[in-house]
Amino acid sequence: MKILPSLLALLVVTPTLFAETLKINGSTTVNLPAAEAAEILRVEQKMDIQIDTQGGSSGGISMLGDGLIQIGMASKPVSDDDRAKFPKVKFDEIHVGQDAVAIIVSKDVWDSGVHALTKQQIQEIYESKITNWKDVGAKKSIRIAFFNKEPGRGTWEVFAHWVYGDPKKAPQVSFPEVGGNEETRNKVSSTRGALSQLSSSWADGKKVFALGIKGDDGKVVDPTNENIANKSYPLSRPLFLLTNGEPTGAARTFVDFMLSDRGQELVKKHGYMRLKDLGK
Amino acid sequence: MTRALSWFFSFVALGAVTLLVGVFVWQSLPVWHHEGWHYITGTKWFFRQKEFGTLPMIYGTVIVALIALVLAAPLGFGAAIFTAEYLPRRVRLAVKVLIELLAGVPSVVYGLLGILLLRDWIYNLFEKFEPLSGDTLLTAGVLLAVMILPTIVTLSDDALRGVSSAQRRAARGLGLTHAETVLSIALPQAKRGLGAALLLALGRALGETIAVFLVVGRQDNNLPEHVFSLRAWLDAGQTITSKLGGSETNIAYGDHVHWGAMVGLALLLLIMTGTVTLLGTGFGKRSDA
Amino acid sequence: MRKSLDFLLAAVTAFCALVAVALLVGLVAVIAQRGGPAVNWGFLTEQIRLVGAAGGIFWNLVGTLILLSSALTVCLPLAIGLALVERVWLQREGPRRLLRTLLYTLNGVPGIVFGIFGFVVFVQWCGWGKSWLSGGLVLALMIIPTVAVSLMERLKAVPKKYVEAAAGLGLNRAQIVWAVLLPQAWGGVVTGSLLGLARAAGEVAPIMFTATIFAGATLPKGIKESPVLSLPYHIFILAQDSFDPSVGSKLWGAALVLLALVLFLSVIALPSRLKLHEEANV
Repeated sequence: MKILPSLLALLVVTPTLFAETLKINGSTTVNLPAAEAAEILRVEQKMDIQIDTQGGSSGGISMLGDGLIQIGMASKPVSDDDRAKFPKVKFDEIHVGQDAVAIIVSKDVWDSGVHALTKQQIQEIYESKITNWKDVGAKKSIRIAFFNKEPGRGTWEVFAHWVYGDPKKAPQVSFPEVGGNEETRNKVSSTRGALSQLSSSWADGKKVFALGIKGDDGKVVDPTNENIANKSYPLSRPLFLLTNGEPTGAARTFVDFMLSDRGQELVKKHGYMRLKDLGK
Repeated sequence: MTRALSWFFSFVALGAVTLLVGVFVWQSLPVWHHEGWHYITGTKWFFRQKEFGTLPMIYGTVIVALIALVLAAPLGFGAAIFTAEYLPRRVRLAVKVLIELLAGVPSVVYGLLGILLLRDWIYNLFEKFEPLSGDTLLTAGVLLAVMILPTIVTLSDDALRGVSSAQRRAARGLGLTHAETVLSIALPQAKRGLGAALLLALGRALGETIAVFLVVGRQDNNLPEHVFSLRAWLDAGQTITSKLGGSETNIAYGDHVHWGAMVGLALLLLIMTGTVTLLGTGFGKRSDA
Repeated sequence: MRKSLDFLLAAVTAFCALVAVALLVGLVAVIAQRGGPAVNWGFLTEQIRLVGAAGGIFWNLVGTLILLSSALTVCLPLAIGLALVERVWLQREGPRRLLRTLLYTLNGVPGIVFGIFGFVVFVQWCGWGKSWLSGGLVLALMIIPTVAVSLMERLKAVPKKYVEAAAGLGLNRAQIVWAVLLPQAWGGVVTGSLLGLARAAGEVAPIMFTATIFAGATLPKGIKESPVLSLPYHIFILAQDSFDPSVGSKLWGAALVLLALVLFLSVIALPSRLKLHEEANV
């Protein structure tokens, strides 16, 4: 029993060796390559980097705004509202990759013949005007089980932006909510008639299936890398590192690493598009 | 010196508790201002539109806890009667120790099992009622039932053992069978203690966060037309705790009304669990006397 | 008829007990079976790599231990103070009962409520951000009732004649506390602490907003902005976000280690609790 307090005392007095701890928080989507980059930098550069994913993209933006972290991770652009909320903070968006939001369904829906939806159909599903897959071309009657991404997630914002032009114009709906990407994939794959929004890199085509988007001309655009790169797939989104003004010090090192060839390989490894793939 | 230190530390502890209650009352003021009683009676929670009605969450919290209690109580009482009335003392202690050990299984572990096993079981078992998914109020209730089972067993066992053995012997002497002794002497004598066991278990069920969060579905504004509609148990829902554990807690800070609404939820939870715990300990106390 | 009722009650209650034990044992078995393969020496001594898909849980384990030891350090004086006030210094039954009731109520406060409280007071007002100390303080508050009540029970059980003998020797109250009461009842502090720590070790809700992050924290280097990793939060996050299937087995491994830690704490509290049981039943 006596050991514990002395251990504690030891911890408290351990001198500060590294003054600069780099704190990063935000989107779980950006987290994957960023966390791995942090692991490399910790070993190679002896940097002290802490990464967390609380509150998703919005968590990253608001914590950067509050000055709690030096780098935010976001899978959506910083909105004017965000900027208005933190007038003193100069949000600097550093584009490190591109991802697409896929509209994903469970296997039974895919097998029943639904492989694409129009924007109109998706909107009506979101507003509960369509509640059965049969109404959008399925061979049999399956109820639609919609899992909505929870508020603050970049995925949801991108989705709402595409359907309604502005997330704030999205109507009031209440669906079961999902948070993380694995949670989404897990729940969709184990539920009949399931539909959700998910980072396309997670749509493996085995457990969950990404629907194509049917345009007005009847042409179907799938979320393939090519379609994301040439912007014909509409639900694509940039992945950002956010800093307050030009990044300096440790933040600079981190950002530079993410933009380097090795950092970009990590982006690719986790299924996202590199800047190079976008023609940048 | 010893006396002064004791008092000093006690006051620090009591001060912290007072601060806790004070913080929740004070920080939630904006939402009471904004919504008034509508905060409790309102049925819609849309934070982007600054609309904060908590009734569906209160419903979710209560229903989930009641499901847990209804499922765990008979099983727990049965098990407690067996350990207290039938098992020899050594074996009884062993069983009790085992059950108490398992009361310590962390809730995140229960949550993991809930995601992996229970969701799918419930989904398949109730297939003909067409639940939209395996995330339902019932799933959360069943998971909670397992979690509070040890509490009910061990407290009920204590209550039954608290009934004096002289009374038992007298009853047997009058020619009552073992079962009759249990049912007509031990159970009625222990009823306050049994009630306390239920209330304390209910308190735990109301406040459980992580396990519920992972399986309840977190669907806002789901309030059935009839409060006791059983079908609604197979819909996803939201409890006070699953809301507090979710992403809104991070988003809300900085916005007075929204944050007030989140803290207000914690205050409601504090009042609910506080009431139940107080009733429970009050119940238990008088049975000793 | 009466005979069959006798049999029926025995059978039904035995069945209930069997189900209860089987449920709980089965649960541990599932965790052990799924997590077992992942747990080895490297798992305990390496840090997380590849976002949980490789490496181990060393810093999560360390973080949990830091939270627990700081919680205990803060909790002990407060809990002992409260127990002594209740048993020794308060003379009237009214205030004593009030104090006890308060402790029971505090014991029933949900973990998430402590979490929000800690977030407001330590993270925001004190400006610590996420810090091991916020987590330690919040957990300390949470386990005070367990330790205090456990000590109170032991103090109650100290034979009157010891106290009388000490008073006969001319010891004053404070001296009796140090010479007789605390040494005699120390087991209560140990038991209560172990049980309290067992509870604190597994909680996510109190620390998720106050103390722990997902990756990158090692030993804290101060108070401000010094989060730690922890086992339960690690499991909670990976349960929702795990990209790689190999995270799966690591996840169960982490659950198994957490379970083992909690059960270990409860088991070493056992002997002294059993002693109390035996005494109570004599």
